[in-house]
Formats: sequence, structure tokens, C-alpha cells
Amino acid sequence: MWIMAARRILIGIFLIWAVSAFIFLITQILPGDAAELILGQTATDASLEALREKLGLNQAWYTQYLNWIYGLVTGDLGVSVAGGSTIADLIKFRIGNTLFVGGIVAVISIPLSLSLGLTAAMMPGSMIDRVITATTLGLIAVPDFFVAIFLILILAVGLGWFPSVSYLRGNEGFLKSLYVLTLPIFTLVLVVSAQMTRMTRAGILNVMSSPYIEMAILKGIPRRTIILRHALLNSIGPIINVIALNLAYLVSGVVIMETIFAYPGLAKLMVDGVQTRDIPLVQACGMIFCTTFVVLILIADLATIVSNPRLRHPK
Amino acid sequence: MIKNKYIELQKTKLLNGTIGRRKFMMSVLAAGVALPSALSFANHAAASTAKKGGSIKTAFNLHGPDDTLDPCMLTSDTDYARGRAHYNSLIQLSDDIVPQPELASSFGANADATEWSFNIRKDVVFHDGSKLTADDVIYSMRRHMGADSTSVAKGLFSVIKEWKKVGPYEVKAICETGYSDLPAILGEKHFKIVKDGTTDFINPVGTGPYKLESMRPGIGSVHVRNEDYWREGANFDSIELFGITDSISRVSALLSGDADMIISIPPNSLQQIESTEGIDLISTPSGSYMGIGMHSEKEYGSNPDFVMAMKLLQRRERIVKTLLKGHGTVGNDNPINSAYGVDFCSDLPMNAYDPDRAKALLKKSGITSAVMEAAEVSPGAVEMSLLLQRECQKIGFDLNVKKVPTDGYWSAVWQKTPMHTTAWNMRPTASIMLDMAYHPDAPWSDTFWKDERMRDLLNKVKGETDPKNRHALQCEMQKIVTENAPVVIPAHSSYLDAKSSKIHGVPKLPLGALGGGEWVEFAWLES
Amino acid sequence: MKNELEKDVPETDAYEELHDVPAKSRLRLSWIGKFCLGIVIFWIIIALFGSYLAPYHEAHFIEEDLTGNEFDDPSFMSPTRQVLLGTDYIGRDVLSRIMWGARTTIGISFVATILAYIVGIFLGVTAAVAGKWTDAILSRSIEVVLSFPSIMLGLITIAAFGSSIPILIVLSGLIYAASVFRIARALSLDIIVQDFVEVTRARGEGLWWIITREVLPNIAMPLATDFGIRLIFIILFISSLSFLGLGVQPPISDWGSMVRENLQGLANGFSGGAIATIAPALAIASLTIAINIIIDDISAHDGGSLSGKMV
Repeated sequence: MWIMAARRILIGIFLIWAVSAFIFLITQILPGDAAELILGQTATDASLEALREKLGLNQAWYTQYLNWIYGLVTGDLGVSVAGGSTIADLIKFRIGNTLFVGGIVAVISIPLSLSLGLTAAMMPGSMIDRVITATTLGLIAVPDFFVAIFLILILAVGLGWFPSVSYLRGNEGFLKSLYVLTLPIFTLVLVVSAQMTRMTRAGILNVMSSPYIEMAILKGIPRRTIILRHALLNSIGPIINVIALNLAYLVSGVVIMETIFAYPGLAKLMVDGVQTRDIPLVQACGMIFCTTFVVLILIADLATIVSNPRLRHPK
Repeated sequence: MIKNKYIELQKTKLLNGTIGRRKFMMSVLAAGVALPSALSFANHAAASTAKKGGSIKTAFNLHGPDDTLDPCMLTSDTDYARGRAHYNSLIQLSDDIVPQPELASSFGANADATEWSFNIRKDVVFHDGSKLTADDVIYSMRRHMGADSTSVAKGLFSVIKEWKKVGPYEVKAICETGYSDLPAILGEKHFKIVKDGTTDFINPVGTGPYKLESMRPGIGSVHVRNEDYWREGANFDSIELFGITDSISRVSALLSGDADMIISIPPNSLQQIESTEGIDLISTPSGSYMGIGMHSEKEYGSNPDFVMAMKLLQRRERIVKTLLKGHGTVGNDNPINSAYGVDFCSDLPMNAYDPDRAKALLKKSGITSAVMEAAEVSPGAVEMSLLLQRECQKIGFDLNVKKVPTDGYWSAVWQKTPMHTTAWNMRPTASIMLDMAYHPDAPWSDTFWKDERMRDLLNKVKGETDPKNRHALQCEMQKIVTENAPVVIPAHSSYLDAKSSKIHGVPKLPLGALGGGEWVEFAWLES
Repeated sequence: MKNELEKDVPETDAYEELHDVPAKSRLRLSWIGKFCLGIVIFWIIIALFGSYLAPYHEAHFIEEDLTGNEFDDPSFMSPTRQVLLGTDYIGRDVLSRIMWGARTTIGISFVATILAYIVGIFLGVTAAVAGKWTDAILSRSIEVVLSFPSIMLGLITIAAFGSSIPILIVLSGLIYAASVFRIARALSLDIIVQDFVEVTRARGEGLWWIITREVLPNIAMPLATDFGIRLIFIILFISSLSFLGLGVQPPISDWGSMVRENLQGLANGFSGGAIATIAPALAIASLTIAINIIIDDISAHDGGSLSGKMV
């Protein structure tokens, strides 16, 4: 088992390198460059050339790649091409917001969805199951921006309970931040829990139809015991995977929430980077997202190995 | 007595923003007040009732990690407002776009406007306590010149040969040709005065009404009043400028009190704004426009019949009514409109909607289908293209509208494809506008349209000082553009912003959102 | 029917009624399942014939009322006899656009989901069964793609290649193929370590045999549960792209884009066009919920044996 885990970790490290190459590659297909974007409508050939020179956009791609990798390894993320601030500065504040929101959402939604999923799976077809299934479905079936605007209109504009935008200066305390971020957290909890609940339920029901559970049923073990003792443990692999994917989503995929609630997070930063062709910024954000993902999946895989006795003792 | 009462009434209106400075001037002039005293009325009215104190939050639309305080690189309304808070210019523009001295105490030109001299105020200090001198001005101006300049406004200085220090408080601009528009140009947002030798624009030193407390690119900035400011103004204790990209969220923030002022209201949400107590809409008529350009050397733009057909298929009133909700004026394929004042030629015949003639012209043109790129370069630009597409469909012509992202639009699509949307902000004068986009050699021409007569006329108008002759020249140019340029301009749009009713004194300079950013110094908050 | 049964049975004995015990009967649907089937069939009919049945063209601007008087401002109109669901933000008939949009939305998402499944299952099962280097290379490459946030991938791809329906299909199909891959592989791994597969291997059956007879039937049900969800995700992914201005090209209507472009209507209230954004949102919800309930229904009734029918 330990060898397997160690191998998996080594693979993770290799993956992070592969990811860096992929990110570099994909940023190269973006048409246009930062100089064109900055000068926009007022660009002339001469001013473009001058600006490219100043921003260091004239280097060959391999020079850029090597410089970038060197920077990454030495912990220097570089300077934002468009604005001139260091990328570390741009990221520092936002990563806090992103992790704060993601963390709170995870803390609420993981236990919530696991228990809801379990409850539903214990009594498939019951009223409770139907209610849970229908609500979660309804929630994922509507675009998240629709849900978000709906909540803003009711809870912020209509009732005035919460701020409609989650603009943070960075000097707020924990409770104040939580209050300011109530609406995005609420929206994300709804969206994320809905999906995790469904996957938990599906994962358990799937295991319930395997032969050894049938055996357990025939032996007369109560359904509740079967689920908690046998099914849950065996469906933990896929469930952990879903949790990992959702956590990664909370870090990197919430650009629409960040846009609507105007809270500064990493995803919006990366979108801005793409739109201003701020390649170093896009690459830095990309690295953070991909590394987060790789690490989460690594953890999920390790958990799967640990939880599945068959994988634990490969023949 | 009645007269005084009327003037008082107009004053109140001016102060609470129901009328602009220009309208105020006109009404008090009409009431029989002499011009100089009318001017001082306006200034006095503003200065005497402005209250100090309070903090406000203003939300902008475009913002990102490229937010900057480098005057050469300002690109968004957020940047402009920050520039206005942090720095001053030599010249400021009044609401009717007349150049007024700001850091320059006086300015003037020689007879043919080839040499401009500026005297600099002696009582101005930077935020770090040092005094403003000619060196700072020369340094700031030279940053927009030369081969290695990266200024976005570089083109506006292309006829300037050099900026020369004449004395410790006097500078001169030497131009290659007459440049009567120079003072108005210097009132544009990029020509801010920075301290001599500044290269670090993360925390630069300015002379402006507010000092920078903190700034996070792409998020927001806080500015606190500069207690040593060299003149009245700077009414708020502090201002916070931040970004909310999404327009619905921006409006919601205003309605829920999370922002006190917001820019760029989508016309569709006017109903929501207007029906809310305590919120005022600020609609500033301007000369900014959206349109469609056809590259003059490519298939469509080189075909006068096709160009004319596109002009005749415009539902101009419909665009103003439906897309702009009445906050704009019908365009006549003329980049100049009434917002430019006397320079506007109002008596040109209309390129009115005429599908039958358009159909005949399209048949004659030999073009059977067309493709155009559309981006949301101005609110309503894509929808304007869809309307045209529908009109084409009605007369059996296939116009394929390809929606493309706004980012990268100006480098990848604009000026390159045969037919595409375009948008222009209003410029301080009609001749600057025409010179930038319709001169045969204009690098920023939408269509590379070359009309030699335009060259002559533009050269003439730069040196012409007689108002009557100037107007005649303007009329001839606008007529040529309207009839011949391969550009469709269905409408000019107003700037639509909104504020809490507690904020007063927002200027109406039509060169950008919220009075071209001038609110930063002049607006104030009711206690 | 099932509910009634369960009510009467004491809980400790409930396992006797377990529906995940393989049933031998053919497909049965509860009344709610039948109702949902009706909804799906309804939308399929609309997708096929909506453009012929719709009162207006999707790009048509309503300009005058039925008596020929021109509207002052036809945008965000409330429902009338002329426009049953009102008009959208620039004055087009919402009902017609939903009917036309059915084809775009259902077409794109179905094709993309099926693409995602074909690619994802093929690669996932291959990786699991073949193992070793094939598995390593496939898994690592997929992880690299998957690690990149999908919306960013969409943003960059569309910035580079423009937005067209084929690009949207391939883009969303491949992005979601990556996650189908992971699930298919994980499920297959669970299967192939089980004794009956090992017995098959020992018997000397080929890869193909193991895949089609042992692996696919056993992973089909959880994957099928996923189909509905993934379909929603693709519809929502495309609507997220349209939130960023990168979705389906106008004037083609698409439900997700309709929700986005008329979102202001929600803020304006019911007299100001809320229906223009609620109606397409309901359309998306009704379709996706119906599909998912049907799938749940089938799996609840037939459990493992469903797999036989799905493959």
C-alpha cells in the first residue's frame, strides 16, 4: 500500500510539471497580445513596438518558458504585464477570499450533502428521497447566475438583509467578511450540495446492487447497517472523487459568482488576465488552479486506495 | 425680483443636477444677466453651497489587473476617475467643453497657433510637499512623445515638435503646424502632471484633490482628501472607487445602498432606477457613437451602392427608442452631433430608412450576401447589428452577423475585416474627432477611407479662426462624411449614470461617465 | 404504487422490498416517471418542429400590434394575445424564441453529452482494463486537461477559434469526456478487481470480451445516473459561456443565452420582462429534471439489470 501511495505522489509531481507545459502551450494560442489590448483602438505600429519592447513580449517562446519555469521554481511569479504590479501581490489578497469562500462552502456542504445523500439512499423511493431528489435536481437545473440574481433581488435589494455585492477591502474581521459574503456562500452551498447529494445517493445505490450486499441482505442484516457498514465504505472512492472535483470547482470555477457578487477571487482574476492577454497572470493563476486540482485528486486517489481492501492488497 | 427668483431657481436646479452648467448659463443669460457675471454665478453657486465631508463609494464597470495610475496608460473610466483624483492637468474643460486654466494660470498662442505658452501656478504642491515647477510639466508632457513612448494618447501629440522650458514657471509647446485644438486636447484624461522623474506608478506622487490611501488593481482604491489642496474642491473626506463588472449587480448595489454612485447604466434597467426613491439617473447627452465601418479597400466598403444601401436600411429612430430608451440622438452617419455645439452642421439631409431603394442599390451592387463582425463595443452595438440583419432579411439579403468577444476586438477585428462594428467616445472638438477618424492618413480610421478634399478641409480648419468660415468648413466636411464615408452611424448615445439623491454637483462634461470624471473634485454630499 | 407498499411494511423488513435487487420485469415507470416522459417527448417534438410551429422567426422583432399600430418600445412587453410570453430585451417574441431555442439547446447538449460519453467511456474502460502504461498515459493526460478549469478552457478556446455551434459541441463534449473518463475508469477498476472478473481473466477471455460482458454492464447504471446530470452540466456550461459573452451566436436562440440576455427582466419585475428570463429557465429545468427523474425511476425499479438494457 505504501509503495502504491508513494508512486501516486510521484505521479502527482510529474503531473504538475505536465500541467505547467500544458498551461504554457494553451496560453500561446491566444490571439493578440497585451500591447495590442492596452493600446486598443489608439494603437499605431510604432507605439505597439515600443510597448512590446517595454513589456518584454518580444522574446522567443522558449526563452519565455524557461524564464517562467525558473521563476516558478524560485517562487517568483513575475509581474503583471498589463498593470505592472507583481503577480504575487495581485494573488495574495484574492487567494484569501477564494479559500475563505471555498472553505466555508465546503464546511457547510460536505456534511450536508453526505447526510442528505445517505438519507435518500437508505429509503429509495420514499417521500424523503423524492423531496431530496427533486430539490437537488431543481437547484442544479437552473443556471447559477439566475439563482444568484434571484437571491440578490430578494435578500439584498428587496429585504435589505445582506449586501448585494461582496466588495471586500481586506481589513474586515471574520464575522464581517462572513456577513459580506453571505449571498455568494449561500448560492454556492445550494449549487454544490445539490450535486454532491445526488452523487452520494447514486454511489451508494450502485454498491447496493453488488453481489456481496445481496448476500448481506439475504443474511438478514438490517438495511441501515448494510449501508453504513458495507455500502458507504465501498462507495467512498467515487464519493471522494466528487467531493474533490467540487472543491476544485470552488477554487477555480466560480468566476460567475465572483463577477455577479463582485468579490475579488482568483477565477475572475484569471478571466481578466485572459481578456487583457496578461499571459504571466494567466499562467500563474492556471498553475494555482491546476496544482490545487492535482493535489485534491491525489488525496482522493489515496483515499480510494486506503478505503478499498482490494486495491489495498493488489494481487 | 422675479428675475432674481428665476435665477435662484436655476441655481437650485444647477446644484441638484437637474440642469447642466451650460443650460444654467443659457437660462440666466436669457434672463438678462451679463456673461461674466453669469459665469461667476455658476462658479459661485457651486462653491458656496458645496458641503465638505462624508465618504462615498462609486462603482465602475471595466476594471481589472491592468488598473493603473500611470497617466499614459489610463484606459477605463475607473482609471480616469483615479487619475482625476490623484493628479491635475494643465487645462480643465468646462461642461460646455471650453478649455479653462487648471495647473496653468494662463495660456495663449501665437497668431498661427504653432506655438503655445503656458504659465504655471506657483502655489501648487505635490502630495509629498514638493513644489510644482516647469520641470514636472515638461517631464509629464514628454512621456507622451518620442519613439519609445508607450502612451495611449501619443497620437494626439504627433504634431508637437517639442515641449520647452522657458522659465521656472513657464513652458512652451512648439508645433509643426497650427494646432488650435491643443488646449482642448490637454484637457483630455491622459495629460496629467506627474512629478519629474517618476517611473514607479504603483505609488506615484500627484497634486490632485485626493491622496491615495490604498489601491488594489482589479478590485478598488481608497482616496482621502488632500488637506493641502491648492484650491477649493475635494469635498469628500474620502472616496472609494471599485469595480462591479456585471451591470445588473451594479444597479443592485446602488439600489441596496452598497454603492452611492454607479456608471454605465444599461438602458434596460432605467425602469428599475427611475422607479426607486432616492436614486437619480444622470443622463448626459454626448457625441459618443456606435456604428458600422466598412473597410474602403475591401469588397463592401469599396462599393458605394452597398454602402448607401446599409445606410438606408438603418432604423435610426427605432435604435434610439428601443436600444437606447430615448437616451441618445438619431445619427445621420455623421460622427458630429449637437453635443459638439456650433461645430455641428444640423441642416444636412437625412439618410432616411428606405428599404425599396436599398434593395435596388444592393441589386445594382452585385453583392448577394455579406458577413460582418459585431462586438459589444458600446451598449447596443450587437443589437444594432441584429436589427440591420433583420432589415436585410426582410428585403431578401443575407447578412451574417458574427458575434465576437470584446477583448482583442480592436487588434484582431477592427480595421481588418471588411465590415464590423465600431464605437467612438466624444472628443473635445469636432475637428479632433474628424481628424482622428476621417483624415485620409488617420491611423485610427475605421475604414481607411481616403478623401483628398477632407485632407484640405481639415488642414484649413486647424488654422481658421473666423467662426463663420469654420462652420462652413465643418459643414462641408460633415456633408462629405455623411454622404460618402463607408461608415454607418445610426445613433449617438448619452452617458447613463446614476447616483444617490444625496450627492450633488456632478458636472455634465460629456467626455465620459459622470461628467468625464470631473465629479471627483466637484461633487459633494448632503449631510 | 411503490410508496404505498412501503408504508405498510415495518421498517426492519423493508429490505425485502428493496428495489435495487435486480428485477426481472421489463421497464416500468411510476406515474411521475410517465409524466416526465411526456415532458421529454414534448420537448423533443418542439425541438424537431418548433421552428415551424412558432408564431414568429427567432430573429423577428415585434414592431407593431395586431392592428398595425407601431409600438413605441416593444422590448420587455408583458404577455398579450399577440405575444403569449411577452417580448425579450430587444423586442422579440419569447415564446417563438423558446420554440426555436429547443432545437439549439437540446441538439447541442445531447450531441455533446453523447460525444462525452463515447470518448469518456471508451478511454476510461480501456485504461482500467488494459492497465499499466496505457492506463498511466491516458489517466495522466486526462488529468492534465481536467485540472484546467473548464470555463477557462472554454474562454481560451473561443478566444482562439471563435464561437460556433460545432466548436461549442466539441469543446463541451471533450471537457466532459474527461470527467466521464474518471468515473468510468474508477467504476471499472472496482469491477475488475472483483472475483468474477478475475475468474474470467483466468479463463483466458480477451480484453474485448471482458469489457463488453463484464465491465460495461456493471458500470452502466451509475454512469446512466450521471447522464442526466452531465446533460444539465453541458447546458449550463454553455449558458455560463454566454454569461461571459461567448455562447451561441445571435440571433440564434438558446435557452441558456436567453436566461442571460434577459436577466435584467428579473430585476424589472413581472411587468418589465421577468417572464423573458424565467420562461427559458423553466424550460431548461423542466427538461433536465424530467430526464433525471426518468433515469432515477428506471434505476430504482430495475437496479443492476438496467445495465443490460442500457448497453
